[in-house]
Order: sequence, then structure tokens, then C-alpha cells
Amino acid sequence: MRISLLVKGLVAVVLAAFALFFALPMVWLVLASTKSPAGLVRDNPLAPGSLGTLLDNWRHLMDFQDGAVATWMGNSVLYAALAVVLTLLVSVPAGYALALMSFAGRRLLLIITLVVMLMPATALVLPIFLELSYVGLVNTTASVVLPMSFFPFGVYLTYIYFSTSVPASLLDSARLDGCGETATFARVALPLAKPVVALVGFFSFTQNWNNFFLPYVMLPNSDHYPMQVGLTQMLAATPTFNPVVGAAAEVQPPELVLATLLSITPVLLVFLFSQRFLVAGLTAGATKG
Amino acid sequence: MRRRSQALLAALVLSAVAACGPPPGPARTATTATNSQAGSPYGFAPAPQKDGKLVVWVDSTRLDAAKAYQAAHPDVQLDIVTYDGNANGSGTLKTKVQLFNRAGEGWPDVVFTTDNNTASWASQGDDAFVAPLSKGLVDQATLDGFAKGALDVCTVGGVVYCLRNDLAQVVLWYDKKLFDEFGYTVPKTWEEYQALAGKVAAEHPGYLVGTAGDAWAPEIYMWGAQCPANQVTGAKAITVKATDPACVRAARMIDKLVANKTMSMLPLFGPDFAKNQGDKVLMLPGPAWYGGAVFQGALKTPKGRLAVGDALHWADQNPPVTGNVGGGTWWLSRHTARLDAAKDFLTWVATADAYQVDKSPGYPAYASAAAKWIAKQQDSGYYAGDIAAPITAAAGQVWPGWGSPEFSQESIWAKTVIPGQTAGKTVESLLPEWQTAIERQAQVFGYQVAR
Amino acid sequence: MTAPVISAAAAPARSRSRSWRPAAGHVFVSGYVVLLVAFGIVPTVYALNLAFTDSGGRFAGLDNFVRTAQDYRFLAAVGHVGTYLVLWLVMLAVLVLVLALLVHRLTAAWSRATLRFVYYVPGALAGASSVLLWLFMLDPSVSPVDGIVRALWGSTFVAVVAPGHLPWIFTVIAFWTGAGGWIVVMYGALNGIPHEIIEAARVDGAGPVRTALRVQLPMLRKWIVYMLILSLAAGTQLFVEPQLISQASFGVVGTDYSLNQLAYLYAFDQNDFNGSAAIAIDLLVVAVCCAGFFVAKGGLFDAD
Repeated sequence: MRISLLVKGLVAVVLAAFALFFALPMVWLVLASTKSPAGLVRDNPLAPGSLGTLLDNWRHLMDFQDGAVATWMGNSVLYAALAVVLTLLVSVPAGYALALMSFAGRRLLLIITLVVMLMPATALVLPIFLELSYVGLVNTTASVVLPMSFFPFGVYLTYIYFSTSVPASLLDSARLDGCGETATFARVALPLAKPVVALVGFFSFTQNWNNFFLPYVMLPNSDHYPMQVGLTQMLAATPTFNPVVGAAAEVQPPELVLATLLSITPVLLVFLFSQRFLVAGLTAGATKG
Repeated sequence: MRRRSQALLAALVLSAVAACGPPPGPARTATTATNSQAGSPYGFAPAPQKDGKLVVWVDSTRLDAAKAYQAAHPDVQLDIVTYDGNANGSGTLKTKVQLFNRAGEGWPDVVFTTDNNTASWASQGDDAFVAPLSKGLVDQATLDGFAKGALDVCTVGGVVYCLRNDLAQVVLWYDKKLFDEFGYTVPKTWEEYQALAGKVAAEHPGYLVGTAGDAWAPEIYMWGAQCPANQVTGAKAITVKATDPACVRAARMIDKLVANKTMSMLPLFGPDFAKNQGDKVLMLPGPAWYGGAVFQGALKTPKGRLAVGDALHWADQNPPVTGNVGGGTWWLSRHTARLDAAKDFLTWVATADAYQVDKSPGYPAYASAAAKWIAKQQDSGYYAGDIAAPITAAAGQVWPGWGSPEFSQESIWAKTVIPGQTAGKTVESLLPEWQTAIERQAQVFGYQVAR
Repeated sequence: MTAPVISAAAAPARSRSRSWRPAAGHVFVSGYVVLLVAFGIVPTVYALNLAFTDSGGRFAGLDNFVRTAQDYRFLAAVGHVGTYLVLWLVMLAVLVLVLALLVHRLTAAWSRATLRFVYYVPGALAGASSVLLWLFMLDPSVSPVDGIVRALWGSTFVAVVAPGHLPWIFTVIAFWTGAGGWIVVMYGALNGIPHEIIEAARVDGAGPVRTALRVQLPMLRKWIVYMLILSLAAGTQLFVEPQLISQASFGVVGTDYSLNQLAYLYAFDQNDFNGSAAIAIDLLVVAVCCAGFFVAKGGLFDAD
């Protein structure tokens, strides 16, 4: 009895310690947005600033390049959302087929997908740029959305989910009931796939939202920048990273922190939303049938 | 059966690949052709001219320049793009130009940059991006209007490829109130400076006479000492003598002052310096932009304390020289389809009073604008005493022997010397390592290295 | 781009030998295959082509590989990446599984949800957003954890980012941003194990540790293999962490720390796309070899 209590206590300590490890820098970030540039450096790192300063920082941020931050956020939402929809449309059926159907080239497709996933992104930038430039898509929404929609990670997540959590026998019984392949997928597999759809949608959204390099390369027009490219530009406009900007610096570190917080909010919202599905009933009904 | 169908699929995929693969590069041959037609009036063959918006790339600080131009020229159609301006060595322009070169399209018409490597990578070879300005495009009177040596960073093989936005000549910044209080006189030479640092260490420990924690330490101390570690002798040739006596004496000075703690090893713009040493600055050799960026911006030095002394020089230097840290430049694309508009924009932002005097945060490189700009600073009442004379004098004293190769000298110093110093080594003992690092980096970029 | 259509059309020829129509599978994967060809296969083939040709497009054999391997930065980068990889893989595999198992065992639903959220939150932070954060975290004079930073690494920022500390710092940063996502995935996978199986193990008298080792972990095999493969690839392709520490340290940590950074420098700093592709192919070969090992051991491709 006593030993199990001790173990429980130890588990709690470990979990709490890691929670602190993950949370502390984020707490610092939130507090930093409420401070003045001088306060950020001089005050206790974990002491809060003031609401007034937070509002000041917010005003400065919104003034940056005549409200560029709002434009960038809008662009990010557009690109990430479009890409998530496309990703789900292509990845879920593909992962399902790879896991539960047998067809020529299945193994080859799995292998190629894996190899492509292992390819360093630095090497893919030039060819993808040239392809899109060749078809005249550079500097369009499609030039970021299409490559983002190629999400092999999601195909694998779906593949592994279906192959570990949904028994083939379940589908066979549906087929025996006279369902065609499409109907089997739509009526039997998709309802079971909610958690993995949430998982793929979530990871795809995060990755698209945080994708810096693709839009950086594809979109030479600053009105089309998404938030990540914009943030890099803001970083380059803070005196800490670009001293030459002088006394009237456009962005001070607390404003950059505020922009950062703004930029991660959608990801956290999507996480909270998809977590519900993720946990809801991963196994519900899966083993019956 | 299964094998064969897999092979079939693979073959089909590969043929699909071949069918929609990118073209083998007609764009590259086109660029080469452009270069070979050197008989044009401007030293390059302009692209076919078309109507349309003029695309200009600026960093967020120089957005004001583009806006001022637009205000003064309401009919010109501008497409203003803000980018990071290559700040902190990002190389954004280089990355994008290399992609545009491969694709054969997409270049901006006019670009602002804050690094000093652009001329060497963008002006040479088949894929040259920037247009020569001194071969008829920009008239000689305009070019002559820039301060002596201002266009050195723009010049490769005697041809000017850019217009300088602002100068960054090193001068001596000092706190007049503290000098009066301590009863010191402002040093004129590095020898006097060292001697004074010794006195500060003994009489007022904790006060600083300089910093060496940043990547631009070599540009302040080595450049000003005429250290021949960075002599660019041709488009792809460099002479590196980092262990020359001129370098050794500057290195010894840094070592001595770091040892007696009058020279800080903290990065000037890092949080640590602002927090712990910001109010301990007695004097600081540094570029002209320190006045706004360091003292007014980062350290919040109160009005009426900051003064400027003549650039420090070694007693035996004749004429006296100084170093340079940064300074932005304007470039014109040789692929532009709106050459006249681009040229008008470029010359206006680099020379017109409406930007250079009224809005520019830095010391203008264009001499007539500089005189008015410095007078305006003087009138602001922030500075103690005459700052115009020493800053203007230093503008013409930048030593031309420190080159602008394709690679960054700042990053070599930051990576090689600063970690060594942090580990307790002296700069003097690190000079051979510095030499090797420069040589290797030069070779990576295909330079012929002479010792 | 015609590949999927043709292969789908070619399939019915074989359909008679199977119990159900194989063409259906091809239709299901067709959309994905189009994207795979356009943004995966074509670029990879293009990169392969670059790696074996010179700047004029002539076949160059292994010249690019030899030239890049002789670069003075190459071996140093191999060493850096190797050290980092060992630290990172061990730390990730062990801690992610332990944390996922522990969180999964908690009885209160709110504590499970909260912990998953807290562990995940840093994953939302990327690129430029983190530069400022780590500059302040690792600078002892302003860090909220200055005591720890001072004790572990030194009293000034430049001392903290001394070469010997870097693999540890990168591991901490990568773990901080990346582990939460994997914990969520593993947690979801643990949820996917039917209760009956766990119950059966308990009835047989297995404690939590035994259940984890004998039942849960084996059933997560595919997930673990997948995590290892991707983490290994991400580890060999180390890029973001050194890049952001380089920015935060104003260049004291160079931009040529890892092989992937070197590939980037070759392409966009030296205008040598062929050399860059050669380094990328080096990395790909290492990753594919290790992945092949894991795949074979873990049965990743078996259709259950």
C-alpha cells in the first residue's frame, strides 16, 4: 500500500516537472508581452508588466507597416485552411486504401512515400520552385497551398491508424452486406476515422501554419506573406537583431513577443478543438462487428 | 506478376516525371546572351522595356524612402515590397535572386540591402543581377556627389554597381558629463586611448571605454588599424595577412583592455549589456549610427551628455584612417523592364533631400545631403558640443584597404575569435586561427588567396 | 501526371485473380499520387539529377560527393550531427513513451487533457518566434531559469553557447518543441488498444510496468517505428535549432553547424546547387538505410 502511494507521488512529480519544463517558457512569453522594452530586460523575468503596456504594445504592433500584421494573419488562415481541406481529401482515402485494401503497387507506394518523407527539405526547394515557376504559379495562393497539401506524414498516420485500429474483418462484413468500396469507406471506415481525421487535420494545419520556407520562397510580394514570413521580417526590424534601424525602431522585443502570441493562438485553438475528437472514442465499436 | 506490375508503375511514374519536369534552362542561355552584348550604352543590354509597376524591395526602415518617393511622384506606379533587407546576414536577396536566375524571371527592379557583399556576388558572371551604374546609366556628376570612398563597397574592377544610402564611418562617441566629472581629456590616438583606459581601470573601475563582443569588432579595431586581413585585389582574389604587425598591435590593445575590464565582451545589443553595463559607458569607438541606435535607442542616454570626438588613429598613421561598420546600398536590376523609372527611383532615394535629409536615420552618403542632415542633428539639441566636424571629417577617412568580398568577415570573426576569447584566449593568440578561417572561407567561394 | 490514371486502368487486368476489385484501391490513392508525383517524386528525381551532374548539366559521376566531403566544414558537421542524433533519439524515444504511458494511466480526465495541452503548447511555436524566446531563456542575466542555465552552462550568453554545450542545447530545444506532438500521437495510439486486452493482462496478474512492456508497447510497435524513423530523419536533417541559436547569438554559433545547413549554404550562399544536392543525397541515404532497418524490424508495411 505504502509503496504504491510512493509510486503515485513519484509519477505526479515527474509529470509536474515536465509540465513546468514545457510551460515555463510559454508563461514567460505571455508575461513578456505586458512589459516595456526596458522592463523586459530589467524586471524580474517572471513578474507581470501592466495592462496599459500591453495595450501600448498592441497599438504599436498594429501600426507596424500600416497594419501588415492583420494582413499576414489573414493570409495564414487562408493558406492553412485551404491546404488542410485538400490534405484531408487526398490523405484519408489514400491511407485507408493503403491499410485495408490490397492492390498493385501498394508496397511500392508506401516505400516511395517514406523515401520522399526522408528527403531533406533544402533539396526540394529549388525543384518545386522551378516547377511552379514553369507553370506560372509563383506568387499565387496555389503556389503555397498545393505543395502544402502534399502531406505524406498524414497518409502514414491514417495508414497506421487504420491498420492497427480497424480490423479488416469489420470491413469484410460490410462488403458481404453488399456495400461497394466507396460505400464501405463512407459508411463504415469514415465514422471510425474521426480521431485520425482530427489528428491529420491538426498536424497538417500546424505544419502549414508554421511553414516558413515555402511561402518565403514562393511569394515575393509582401502583401501575400503569411505570419511566419512576416515574423521573420519583424525580427529583422527589431534593434536587437538589426541595430542599424536606429532610435526610432519599428518593432521592440515585447511587440515581437505579442506578435508571436498572436501567431500561435489559432494553432492552440485548433489543438483544443481536435483534441476532443482525438480522445472521444478512439476505439468505440472498433472491435465489435 | 507482382514485381512486374511494380516495375511498370515505376516506369510510368518516371515517364510522367520526364514529361512534366522543368525545362533545361533557356533562361540561363538568355542571360549569357545578355552579357555578351557588352556594346550597349550602359555596359549591359537592357531587357525589352514594358509598362507596369516598378517593383522595389526595401527593409522596413527604408519603407519611408519608398513612401517619400511615392509622395513626391504620385503618378509613378510603385509596387513596394518589404523584406528583411539581409539583416543579420540572412542573405534573403541572394537566395531569391538565385532562384529567379534559375527560373529566368521574377527579379525586383530596385533593391535596398544592408550588407556589403552584394557587389561581389551579384555583379559578376553569367548570372549577374545588378546593373553597372558608372558606364553611362547614372551621370558622373551624381556619382561624384558621394563622399570620398562611399562607393567603394559598390565597386568591382573600377565599375560602380550601387548607390550608397548611408555611411557608417567609425568615430569616438563619449559621455561629456562623465569626462568633465573625471577630469579626462578626449583621446586623439589609439595610444592615448589605451593610456586613458588604464587610468579608468585604476580610478573608476566598472566604466567602459569600448566593446568587443560583437561581430563588427574587426571593422572597428582592425579596419581602423589598417590590418591587411581583408584586401580584395580582384574579382576573385584576396590577400589575407591577419598576423601582420598592424593587426597584432590592435589585437594587443583589445586584449589589454579586456583584461583590465574597460572593454566589454558582451554584445552591445544583447539584453545583458543593456541591463548590466548600459549606464557605464564612458566612451565607445563606433560607427556614426551609434548615436541614434545605441545611445538614443538602446541605452537611453539623456539629452546633453553625448559628444563625438575625432576618429581615433594610430600615431604613426599618415594620413589618419578609420573603420566602417555597415551602411546600406541601393541596387538596380539589369533585368528591369522599366529602366528609366528604376534609375529615377534609385537616384532620388539616394540623393534627394526629401528623404536623405528629412527622413533618413543614418548619415547620408551623398555629400550635400550629409551636410544638411548633420546640421539638423546638431540643431536637435540632443548632443553636447559640435558633432558635425568630427563625423564629417571621418566620412572621408575610411581606409580603402579593407575589401568587400563575397563572404562576410563579420561572421568569421563571430564564429572564430569570439568563442576563443570566451574560452579565455587572447585575440593575439587567435590571429593565426583567424587567418586560417578567412583563407578557408575565401577558398570555399573560389577566391585565389595570397598571404 | 498521368501515372495514377494509367496504373488504375492497368489494374483490372489482374482483377480476376483476386477476390475483390483491386481497381478501387487505386482510385482511393489517386489524388494523393498526383501530389506525390508533383511535389515528392519529381523534385527528388531533379535533386538526384543535380547531384550527379556539374553546373553545366554534364554527368559528373561522384565529383560533387567527393568535393563536398572534402570541404573543411563537412567532417565537423558530421560529428556535430552524430552527437546530437544520439542524444536526441534516446531522449525522445524514452521520455515520449514514458510520459504518454504515465498520462494515459491518470484517472482524472481533466488532468489528462490539461497535461496533454501543456505538453503540446510549445509545438505551436516555430521559427522566428523562437529566436527571441531562446535568446532570453539562455542569457543568464535575463533568463527566468538563470540558476539552472548558470549551473549547467555558464554565466554569460556567449559562454552558454560554447561548442561543447550545443548538442545538449539543441536537444532541449527540439524536445521542448517536438515532444508534445508525439506524446499526443502516442496517447491516441494507447487509447486505440482495446480495454479487453489490458483487462486480460491485469487478470493474469501483470502490474502496470509489466503491462506496459509486454502488452502496450508491443501493440504500439508501428507507431514507435514511425516515430523513430521520422525523428531520425529530422535529427540527421538538423537545421532549425542551430539556425535559430545562430541568429540569437549574433553569429557566434555559425550557420554551418549541421550538414543540412551546409547543404543550404552550398545552394544559396555559394550558388552551388549540385554540391547542395550531393549533401542532401548523403543525408537521404543515411536516413533510408536506418529507416529500412526499422521498417524490417517493426513490420511497418504489413497489412494486418
